[in-house]
Amino acid sequence: MYLLPLLSFLLLPLSFVVAKEDPHAELVKLAAANKGVIPLDERVYNLLTSPKRTWSSSVQFTALDPKRRCSPCKEFNPSFNQVAKAWQKVPAEQRDTHFFASLDFDNGMAVFQKLGMQSAPIVHVYPAAEGPRKSPSGKTSPFTYDFSYGFEAGPLAESLSQHTPVPIPYKAPIDWGRWATVAAFGVIFAVTLRFIAPILQSRWTWAAGTVLTILIMTAGHMFTRIRGAPNSGPNGQWIAPGYQNQFGQETQVVAMTYGLLGSAILMLTVVTPYTSSPRRQRAQVYLWSFVIFIMYSVLVSLFRVKNRGYPFKLLL
Amino acid sequence: MFSRWGLLLVLGLASWATAKSSTGDSVLVILEPKLDKDNFSIFFDGLREKGYDLTFRAPKDVEPAVIEYDSPQFSHVILFAPETKSFANDITPQSLVTLLEKKTNLLLVVSSKQTPLTSLAPEFSLVLPPPGTPLLSHFPERDTPATVIPVNVSPNPVVTSKLPPVWFSGIPFSLQNNPLLFPILSAPPESFAADSEGDSGAEAVVQVSEKGGEGLWAGSQMSLVAGFQALGGSRATWVGGVDLFSDEYAQKETKPGVKSGNKEFASAVAAWTFQESLALRIDRVTHHRVNQTEALQAYTTNDEIVFTAHISKFNSETSAWEPFSGIQDMQLEFTMLDPHIRTALPPVPGKAGEYSVTFRAPDRHGVFKFVINHKRKGWTHLESSTMVSLVPPRHDGYPRFLSAAWPYYIGAISTSLGFFIFSALWLAGDDRESKKSKGSKAE
Amino acid sequence: MTTKAYALPSDLSPATVTNTTSLLRIIALAFISGAAIASRLFAVINFESIIHEFDPWFNYRATRVLVADGFYEFWNWFDPTAWYPLGRVVGGTVYPGLMATSGVIYKILHALNLPVDIRNICVLLAPGFSSLTAWSTYMFTKELKDESAGLLAAAFIGIVPGYISRSVAGSYDNEAIAIFLLMFTFFNWIKALKTGSAFFGTIAALFYFYMVAAWGGYAFITNMIPLHALALLLMGRYSSRLYVAYSSWYAVGTLASMQVPFVGFQPVRTSEHMAALGVFGLLQIIAFAELVRSHVSSKQFQTLLYASVIGLGFLGTLAIIGLTYKGWIAPWTGRFYSLWDTGYAKKYIPIIASVSEHQPTAWPSFFMDLQFLIFLFPAGVVMCFRELRDEHVFVIIYAIVASYFAGVMVRLMLTLTPVVCVAAAIAFSTVLDTYINPVEPEAPADEAASSEVNSVASDVTNPSTPTPVSKKSKKAVKDSSASSTTGPFGDLVASVTSGKSGKKGERSFGVFGLDTRLVVIFHAIGMLIFFVWHCTWVTSNAYSSPSVVLASSNPDGSQHIIDDFREAYYWLRQNTPETAVVMSWWDYGYQIAGMADRPTLVDNNTWNNTHIATVGKAMSSSEEVAYPILRKHDVDYVLVIFGGLIGYSGDDINKFLWMVRIAQGVWPDEIQEPNYFTRKGEYKIDDEASPTMKNSLMYKMSYYRYAELFGGGQALDRVRGQQVPKTGPTLDYLDEAFTSENWIVRIYEVKKEDLLGRDLKSANAFAQGKKRKRTKPASRRKALL
Repeated sequence: MYLLPLLSFLLLPLSFVVAKEDPHAELVKLAAANKGVIPLDERVYNLLTSPKRTWSSSVQFTALDPKRRCSPCKEFNPSFNQVAKAWQKVPAEQRDTHFFASLDFDNGMAVFQKLGMQSAPIVHVYPAAEGPRKSPSGKTSPFTYDFSYGFEAGPLAESLSQHTPVPIPYKAPIDWGRWATVAAFGVIFAVTLRFIAPILQSRWTWAAGTVLTILIMTAGHMFTRIRGAPNSGPNGQWIAPGYQNQFGQETQVVAMTYGLLGSAILMLTVVTPYTSSPRRQRAQVYLWSFVIFIMYSVLVSLFRVKNRGYPFKLLL
Repeated sequence: MFSRWGLLLVLGLASWATAKSSTGDSVLVILEPKLDKDNFSIFFDGLREKGYDLTFRAPKDVEPAVIEYDSPQFSHVILFAPETKSFANDITPQSLVTLLEKKTNLLLVVSSKQTPLTSLAPEFSLVLPPPGTPLLSHFPERDTPATVIPVNVSPNPVVTSKLPPVWFSGIPFSLQNNPLLFPILSAPPESFAADSEGDSGAEAVVQVSEKGGEGLWAGSQMSLVAGFQALGGSRATWVGGVDLFSDEYAQKETKPGVKSGNKEFASAVAAWTFQESLALRIDRVTHHRVNQTEALQAYTTNDEIVFTAHISKFNSETSAWEPFSGIQDMQLEFTMLDPHIRTALPPVPGKAGEYSVTFRAPDRHGVFKFVINHKRKGWTHLESSTMVSLVPPRHDGYPRFLSAAWPYYIGAISTSLGFFIFSALWLAGDDRESKKSKGSKAE
Repeated sequence: MTTKAYALPSDLSPATVTNTTSLLRIIALAFISGAAIASRLFAVINFESIIHEFDPWFNYRATRVLVADGFYEFWNWFDPTAWYPLGRVVGGTVYPGLMATSGVIYKILHALNLPVDIRNICVLLAPGFSSLTAWSTYMFTKELKDESAGLLAAAFIGIVPGYISRSVAGSYDNEAIAIFLLMFTFFNWIKALKTGSAFFGTIAALFYFYMVAAWGGYAFITNMIPLHALALLLMGRYSSRLYVAYSSWYAVGTLASMQVPFVGFQPVRTSEHMAALGVFGLLQIIAFAELVRSHVSSKQFQTLLYASVIGLGFLGTLAIIGLTYKGWIAPWTGRFYSLWDTGYAKKYIPIIASVSEHQPTAWPSFFMDLQFLIFLFPAGVVMCFRELRDEHVFVIIYAIVASYFAGVMVRLMLTLTPVVCVAAAIAFSTVLDTYINPVEPEAPADEAASSEVNSVASDVTNPSTPTPVSKKSKKAVKDSSASSTTGPFGDLVASVTSGKSGKKGERSFGVFGLDTRLVVIFHAIGMLIFFVWHCTWVTSNAYSSPSVVLASSNPDGSQHIIDDFREAYYWLRQNTPETAVVMSWWDYGYQIAGMADRPTLVDNNTWNNTHIATVGKAMSSSEEVAYPILRKHDVDYVLVIFGGLIGYSGDDINKFLWMVRIAQGVWPDEIQEPNYFTRKGEYKIDDEASPTMKNSLMYKMSYYRYAELFGGGQALDRVRGQQVPKTGPTLDYLDEAFTSENWIVRIYEVKKEDLLGRDLKSANAFAQGKKRKRTKPASRRKALL
């Protein structure tokens, strides 16, 4: 990282030869030309991050070429552009002291090698090295954006605003589609209310809802949501190894097992006794007992997969 | 503190003269064979008269050891070995620093030769000139060689009395900015360090400036004797040349009829080094609430607190610690992480050695410290830190009734009164009405 | 004339039967509490009578103060050794219920001349209260179904791991008594709601107060009860009973809860409590409307009235929202908010996210903690839907809310467990009732059967909501009919079973034959036995280790105790001055204070993010940067936990990234998380580790002289499974003071300033006899110009 200013210093004369005009003016022009995101190649990169820069800049290192197969890059690129676009809204005197730029791997391999970057996307923020906006700590080495906040534009703008002269006026675009659907559903609901009212008032609808919620929750749905666990592991395994871990499919399987067991119990208590023919009733009793036994042992064996060293087992 | 002082007193009375130093009177003099003991008789006898008992030893000797079983054997060490290349292995730069740690005072003499001491000097942020470059000066006009220079003693904390110039021959050193280090004798403005013993003329200066850089080893920012007050409390003095202490220089006249000030200067330097002069200590500190006497473990926020420090100074005449009110610029800090209060701690008029201040504790609870940190060049550092905690008022320490709360009081009282009256009426009211109202309630 | 599957003794007087049943009930409860206590003693038997984990150590210490100095001193206790130098006003920042409880017990025992050590009281408090929990669960479930269900519920909650995990002997934490209070408050609430008595409402309020004084989780009750009330209102079930119960509970409970110093004015100032307040207001409005309606007859006036009621309610909500925006009402606290927006904590309050028990729950933990109850649970909820009385609505809401919370945070499994036990007990006892009941229905002609089934199905799908009154009469009918046929014992069974069935006409129902009964019963018993085995195994293996003492098993299978923590803490206690300040990561603050009795910078009550971030910064920056911080805070010793040697995975290097993140939150341009990863973005400690990582104080302290231990051989970190660099880090500003037997705890002493005023690095160099290069005095030339 520290040899970067040196190198760019070596390249500086060259860049000046190429760019007759004042680098800052050129950058402003480039930015204006490309909706706020300067497309970089090695020369412009060195220009942008020259050791005597009086401006700061946020640079996205990415690899959008399909053959690079960098899906996160594609995922992240739009949000970066949105933030850059939002930055264009601020008045010129502040806007032109901070630039947004994007360097694609295929245009600047040399830079990637210089910085020893193994992965993309990466966002660097180069503080101003000279002039009024020079950081008080005198720090000129770039800050790296922490992607643990996710790829969304909101957090990106928030954390980049620490380095811009004025906070980036980024507002999340209103998701008209979502609102439309919500409104539509509202209308439909209002219209059909009188027809579905009995359904809504029937306790069993609510019962179904409740039980479903409970099943999903107790099957660890929230875990997969919060941890963003994949639906199933690589090479199609659907049981995540380890006690404190699980896949999306497990949730479904476990929830169904619970549901089946629960309903079997219900059958035994709610339906069977009302069956008034002894034969059928007996059949039901045996059937449900059997179901319970099987499913229970399945469940236990499933648990033993997750938690090795669990000593008990039923049928299998 | 007191017990130690008492011990010293006993020791002093036991010996034939009372100890002059505040830290003990045993002195080890490491004298290199080349130097003749008699040549320094005035200096040594002066120390003897003061009541020190001197032990002499050559650098090479093993006996008596400086440190035995990790405890120092002498309270002061004079190192008159400016040219010794190799010492017995109990004397190394490291062991000398260890001595300082263990409260032993050092009087170190260097010369223009390269010795172990030259490598020790940088640790004291002294910069010695390159080997073989003594101090020269051609002024004032005199019959001695240019290396033997009369130096005017500028007044400083160590040498207070006005002295005639002292004879000096040796090397200067420049002081880096270390707050613990201060010059006792600085070189004459027109002097410079050059490597030609018997030089005459300017080319020497040229050479030196080429060697040492532009005019670095010249002028009055060089010092010849420097005192170092270590953080542990012990003291070390660096002297550029051993002859300063010699009888010869002591008798030598600077001007016809005027004897040099070497004798007094030497003894003054020794006195400072051996903690006779400028030795202070904090006997005790006390703190309590205003109009109270006992010291509390925890004060309440916004208390008025009185802080008192008792400070005494060592008097070498009576060789006793005497209350000392001479410090005018002492400060007290009331600190949690940062000083919340920093105030002057002035002497109490009429009470010898007592410094006191009253202040209002900040409105912030936490663990605070009364901090005295008084460091002046030459004087013993005064450091004291007393921890107390500052706590919020007790649950019953707040005012019971607030005038601002009257609306609430009235509200509460009126409600309860209303309820009482209502229920009274309810119970007293005749049946039919009550029944009806009850009926209305029930459904 | 009904036939019976098996004969019942018919020559028993009703009195005998009732007496015997109640006696049996009492005995059963006694055994249940016995089991509940006994199963929590594994920790004491396998290890010793010791306080567990982290927070309990503070509670224990506080309790000692309370017992020694009395309540008022405790209330005004300012602890200067915690959060040095800020100190902590313990009296005002603690939930005193737990300490007060054990303090009272201690006083009582000593008044009875039973000189019991306070430690043992603290250790055994949780098991003791668990038996009370079983009892209160019994009472609660009794209100929902009947005694048999109650006994089952009590038995479940007595031994279910989900509850044991927080209440084994020695885990002396607020939850120990909180669950009992939770259940008992709910019981009183239900009781008050059923009887509409202000008395039970007040009792509920008092126990609510106790709960507030005991556990921060009281917010759960504060929102559950209003939610229940609101649901009832929406279901059009407003009744004067509801009005009386809720008003008495809220008024008394809120006033009482404001007496706890730590809570203070929150009940009227924070959003957590606004739901309760709002429902209270709504109830008043509706009550008033009802009153007016009962007096006024005019139709349109009533409509007007309803409109105004709704309008008022709406305005009230708006008012609360407005106040929140104005800042008069504090918004949700982060801890609480992170329950809804699950990504919130990681982003904004890393301290909360860093706690392991705030992680989401994977399904195995559910099964581990609840075993077969977990699938009886939904069944039980459906049963509650069948007879939808007010208390059942409560259970249903409780079920939904708790299962969501438990899914989001592991530790909230604790609040889920009781309702699971209750619901499961209802389901299970229904099964047993159905299949024990000896009465057989008369076998009808086959053609009738089909229609029967349909009619039943229809019965099930649109049952009415029987009010208690009508139930009584029905029971009476049933009894009269049954008593004629079967003896008093039959009565009992019949009356027991009568509870659950949705609605009964003349047409009888039941189970035919004995074999079916036996199958189901044996099946059920088998399940129960399996459950007991499971609970015992889980308790003894998973939940009984006091994380202060670790246990591993030798090759020969015998148990090997690893006691490094106490070894190190006692070293501190015996070899350092009273006032020596110890810096460590906050997890160990309470233990150091409790066992080593030394001042600490930060501890487990994480109230000051900045202070914690300061420690994080010191740990994650280089020696030169850290040293001034250490000196400024008067730190004498630094303590780190290092598991690399024996593979103790909960060590500081694994927590290190959290320290970095928390520090980064406060000093974003000095500490940056990416700098601690390798180029490839991995978190490694071997040769590839980034320079920032290698220079960080934490890394240096962890691996200082670690390689030497392997004498030339390749040093291996058994937790990370990586090779440690051969040339280990060097320390200039710290001295290794102590390293415990298995290297788990390493203590370093902070060096004082050098007495010659040098920086310690060069002082070290000199002490090791390195020559420093000649310096020249600065040229005065510049000064002259």
